[in-house]
Amino acid sequence: MDNCSKKEGSFLSSFLPRDIQGWKAEEEDQSYDPQTIFDYIDGAGEVYRSYNFKELLVRHFRKKDNPEIIVDFFVMSSSKDAFGVFTHDLEGEEAGIGQGSTYQGGLLSFWKGPFFVSIYAEEETEETREVLFHLGKAVAFSIKEEGEKPDLLALLPAKYVNDKSIHYFHNHMILNYHFFVSDENILLLDQQTEAVLGAGYEKGEEFYVLVIRYPEGRKASQAYGNFTSTYMPDAVEPGLVQTEDMKWTAARIKEDLLIVIFNASSDTSAREMIEGVERKVEQK
Amino acid sequence: MKKRGITRRDFLRAAAVSTLAGAFPFSVGSKESKVVSRKVRVILIRDKNVLDSSGHPNADVIQRMLDEAVTALLGEKDPVEAWKKLVKPADIVGIKSNVWGYLPTGKEVEQALKRRIQDAGVAPENIGIDDRGVKKNPIFKKSTALINARPIRTHHWSGVGSCIKNYITFVPWLPAYHGDSCANLATIWKDFNLKEKTKLNILLVLTPLFHGIGPHHFSKKYMWEYKGILVSQDPVAVDATGVRILQAQRREFFGEERPLKPPAKHIFLADTRHHLGVSHPDRIELVKLGWKEGILI
Repeated sequence: MDNCSKKEGSFLSSFLPRDIQGWKAEEEDQSYDPQTIFDYIDGAGEVYRSYNFKELLVRHFRKKDNPEIIVDFFVMSSSKDAFGVFTHDLEGEEAGIGQGSTYQGGLLSFWKGPFFVSIYAEEETEETREVLFHLGKAVAFSIKEEGEKPDLLALLPAKYVNDKSIHYFHNHMILNYHFFVSDENILLLDQQTEAVLGAGYEKGEEFYVLVIRYPEGRKASQAYGNFTSTYMPDAVEPGLVQTEDMKWTAARIKEDLLIVIFNASSDTSAREMIEGVERKVEQK
Repeated sequence: MKKRGITRRDFLRAAAVSTLAGAFPFSVGSKESKVVSRKVRVILIRDKNVLDSSGHPNADVIQRMLDEAVTALLGEKDPVEAWKKLVKPADIVGIKSNVWGYLPTGKEVEQALKRRIQDAGVAPENIGIDDRGVKKNPIFKKSTALINARPIRTHHWSGVGSCIKNYITFVPWLPAYHGDSCANLATIWKDFNLKEKTKLNILLVLTPLFHGIGPHHFSKKYMWEYKGILVSQDPVAVDATGVRILQAQRREFFGEERPLKPPAKHIFLADTRHHLGVSHPDRIELVKLGWKEGILI
């Protein structure tokens, strides 16, 4: 590829084996950065850029008469971003590798420390599945240090929110991917903000909790004002509105945080959930 | 006054008044009258023998399918006469293909198109086939007519890889059009003078990808043999129809409603915001030819 640089023998390549159960890495690794990633995975590169990835190392494994296996080894800016990009797609079975992992349809994904790893077999067979797991365990073992998850996660109501529904992100494009709010950035999200979105069930109905941390309280206030004026101009009281589907949306600011509940079954429930998050903030 | 944009509540509002509108939320805000004028024609043709046992297209069947689709689209009996309505001998024609490794347009389709363009009188040296090299390709640089051909698939960032999206390789810096899940891809068609040049849009539904996973967004598990081709002069109509097929397959496979993620909003905004074409099924005349089993729509 024109825009990839060869990183044979680099520090990153030391995390990946060259040989696993007969699959060998015979060609040189490829490396991509936030500018050149589109040459590799086209528009999908935006996902990793939105999580501040720094470098991607790609290693191909081949075994005669077998599907190719590709390791995509992402170096993220932090363990929080490694966790975050992992939460972008949580479909699949738990694979028990790294600090969080999934397997589905010939794809093994996991995060550990500041690294996000995707191991992909061009065709899923029993043999490739086994190799993916061995390879994943080998790579995870080579990453010595674990990293921290975002502390915002602790603010989600654990009783109701499903682990498989929790996403950590920075910008509104990723928010809209998981839960469409607006095509305009009405919550004023950017790479300086941190957000967690979780879904849960209450009385059989799905609701969503969104907690956003801004760099400072003033920005949180601005976002609150922008959101409420755009999304709930017909609020029954400040920060509380019944939407067209007869569900309730509530928003409140607390210090540098903006808390939004979507799809609550009642106004009481919306207020209670927000107050629950506020109590958690006070306890920290 | 600052443009408010579309919020979730606009969808809810639309769904409350029309079940169809709920399925096409980005039709919200359209100023189009409910009274439908002339409909846009889209041809869907399928042939159960188009793929061999290894899933590879049969060139003869592809030619036959394209001929039948184009003649039906343009109301002609003979494919060459139909193609003469699309291109003139003096034209310089670019066939805008797609080379994505897992699901490319393919030589069979490219050559079938080239054959008929030649039959319509265009000299072979004035016909080019390209994808990522179009900005530097001399044929495309001086083209007077374009034929847009690609397979439909889900896409990690835009929802679907569509005929509208196929022209992104004309732009100098692709990320410039990535914002908001590629919402404004349709502007490429105006910004780069492609709308009038485009004579035909072919959206291949032979072996579509209906779900993507991981950075490569591909797993054979999520392809199926639909064995179809969609053809229209309206890129928005052909894409909107393709999306309906994908959504139907997803419903079938997953056993529940599984909206595309992200939604293919660029297709519907191409209609309601950019007026590139028509997305609403009420405004599309869908003509179905050939094999009907498993048609889904």
